[in-house]
Amino acid sequence: MEISAVQSKNLYYPIMSEIIGVEELTQLEKKFEIVLPDKRALSHKPGQFVEVSIFGFGEAPISVCSSPTRTDSFELTVRKTGRLTDKMHLLTAGSRIGIRGPYGNGFSVDEFVQKDMLFVCGGIGLAPLKSLIDYTIAKRNDFGRIIILYGTKSPAEILFKKDIEHWRNRSDIEFYMTVDRPDKTWSGNVGVITTLIPPLSLNTEQTITTVVGPPVMYKYAIMALKGKRIPDENIYLSLERRMKCGVGKCGHCQINDSYVCQEGPVYHYPRIKNLEEAI
Amino acid sequence: MARQPMVNLEQMNRYFFDQETTTKFIRYLMNKATVIAPHQKGETSWSYEKVDRAEEVVLDYPRTIQPLKKYFLPPRETLLSFSIKDNCFKEVPSEQEHRIFFAVHSYEMQSILRLDYNFSSGNPESNYLQRRKNSCFVGISFRPDSYHFSKSVGIEIEKLEGFSLFFEPVEKGYLVFELDDAGRDLLDGFNSGVLVDTPMDFELTPKNFKSKIKYHYNRLPQVFEYIYQSKVWDMVAAKCVGCGTCNLLCPTCYCFDVQDEVNLDMIEGNRQRFWDGCMLHSFAEVAGGENFRDKLERRTRHRLYRKFKYITEKSGELHCVGCGRCSKYCPAGINIVDIINDLIVDYTEQQQKQVN
Repeated sequence: MEISAVQSKNLYYPIMSEIIGVEELTQLEKKFEIVLPDKRALSHKPGQFVEVSIFGFGEAPISVCSSPTRTDSFELTVRKTGRLTDKMHLLTAGSRIGIRGPYGNGFSVDEFVQKDMLFVCGGIGLAPLKSLIDYTIAKRNDFGRIIILYGTKSPAEILFKKDIEHWRNRSDIEFYMTVDRPDKTWSGNVGVITTLIPPLSLNTEQTITTVVGPPVMYKYAIMALKGKRIPDENIYLSLERRMKCGVGKCGHCQINDSYVCQEGPVYHYPRIKNLEEAI
Repeated sequence: MARQPMVNLEQMNRYFFDQETTTKFIRYLMNKATVIAPHQKGETSWSYEKVDRAEEVVLDYPRTIQPLKKYFLPPRETLLSFSIKDNCFKEVPSEQEHRIFFAVHSYEMQSILRLDYNFSSGNPESNYLQRRKNSCFVGISFRPDSYHFSKSVGIEIEKLEGFSLFFEPVEKGYLVFELDDAGRDLLDGFNSGVLVDTPMDFELTPKNFKSKIKYHYNRLPQVFEYIYQSKVWDMVAAKCVGCGTCNLLCPTCYCFDVQDEVNLDMIEGNRQRFWDGCMLHSFAEVAGGENFRDKLERRTRHRLYRKFKYITEKSGELHCVGCGRCSKYCPAGINIVDIINDLIVDYTEQQQKQVN
C-alpha cells in the first residue's frame, strides 16, 4: 500500500525554549525575547509566526516581531487576551515555553530589493510588520525609501516606543503616526490610520505596501492606497485567523480554499482580493 | 468514466463461503490481528467495533452511525502528556497494532483514501499515518437505502480500490474475491472456503440508488464555480440548527480542536485533540472575538465547498463519498442531495439567463 511509503513525523511536539527577557510595552502588551536550545536560529522569514505553548494552557499562534538578521534570539509581542496569553504575561526571564515553527508564508523580501517600502500598521499589526521593518533597516542599502505609518486607538496603546524614537530620529526613515482618540499628552495627528495616506508623495510603481491591522482596517486602507494609484500587485497583507495547528490540518484558519497557516498569514493582495471571506 | 467493476472481479481468484464458513473465517482472522467490524447497536443502528465474538458481526447493514475514521483520527486523542510542575512533556508512543477492518462498504473505503490524501499531503502527519499503516480492509457489497448516493459521486457499490478481499452476497452465502497479496495472506491457511474455478456464469443483481444527484459527478466542480452567491445557502441555513452533527458523522471531515486537560492533581495533564466542525459557531473565531464565518449560511456553504471544490481542486476527487450520514442524522431534516440538486437548479437558471 502506497500510504506506508509516506515519510511522516510528529508535527505537534514543541521545542522547549527559554525566555531571556520581558519588556512591558503597554498595559496589555509585553515583548518576550526567546532563545531556542543551543541558541540556534529560528530561521524565520519576516511575517512568519510560531505556535507558543504553555502546558496546561494550550497553544496560540504569535507573529515573530524581530528580524531574521538577528540570529541568536527572537522576539514575540503578546497581547493579553485569553487563557494562554494571560498566563504568558506572568512569566519572567528564565521561564521555559514550548515553540513550534516558524510557520506560514512570510514576506518575500528578495522581491522587495531596491523598492520603496510603505508600512501601514494598525494597532498590534505593528508587531508582525516590525520583523520586516527591522529587516529593511538592517539591510538599509538594499531598499529605497522606508515610510512607516502607524495608528493606534489611543496614546496609551503605542507599542515599541524606543524603536519609534529611533525611527523618528533617523533621516533615512519617514515615520508618521496618528491616534483615534487623543489624550492630554498627545500633540500629534488625530484620526484613523487611513488619513495618513493621502498626504504622502509616492512613486507608486516603485512602492511596495504592506498592511497589517485589525480586520476592519484592510478595506479602508486598500481604498486609500488605490486613491494613491498603488497597483494591486504592490500590496501585501498579513491576515489574522485562528491558526490552531499551524501545519494545515485543523481547518480553523481556512479562508475559502486557502489555509492561512500555510499560504498566509502574508498574502499578495491579488491572491485574496476576490476571496469573499478574506477582508 | 463509469467503472466496470465486474470485469475486474472476473479475473480474481474467488471462493464460495457459506454463512458458517464466513463466521469461521472471521474467527480465523481474529487469530491473526485485531478485527474490527459492524455490530448491531440498538434496533436500527450499527457501529464498527472490535470483534470479540465472530457471531456478533453483522454483514448486512445500511451504514454505521460513526464513520470508520474514528480508528484513524480518534474522536479524542492524546497528542502529548505534560507535567506542569516540571514544565516538560512526554511523547505518546505510536500505535503499531495490526488491524483488519471487516465488512466495509466501498464509500467508507473511499473516505479513508480521501483522509489519506489530507494527512499525507503538505505536512504528512505521523499520528494519522502510523494508525493507517498495518491496516487491511475487507469490503462487502450493500443494499442502498434512501440516503445512500455514493454512485452519484462516482463510487460504485463494487468499487474495489483499497480492499484486499471483497464479499459479494450470493444465494446461501458469499463469493469472496481475492484482490491483492494482502488478501491472499488473509486467506492463507484457511481451508474451509471452496475455490470457484468455473467462469462467472451469473450476473450480480444490480442495486438501485433511490437518492440521486441530477448531474454526473464530473460536472459538480463546474456547478460550484457559479453558485457561491446562491439563495440556496440562505434556505438551508433557515432550517439548520448549527449542531455540527453533519461534520462529526462525515467520514471525510477531519478538522479538529486542541485543548490542554489538566488532571485533578493540577500537576500533570494531556494535550488532547477532538473532532471539531466548521458548522459550529465559534469554529473561525479568533482570540479578540472576531468571527470570520459568523453566519450559518456561510458555514453551510463552507462545508459544501470543502466537499465539492476546495480540496477537489487539489486532489482531483470529490470529498463527499455519498454515505448519506449527514442527511440521515440531521436533526433538522436537511438532505445533502436536496441541497446539491437545488444548487444545480440555481446553476441551470443562471446559465439560461446568460444564454438569453
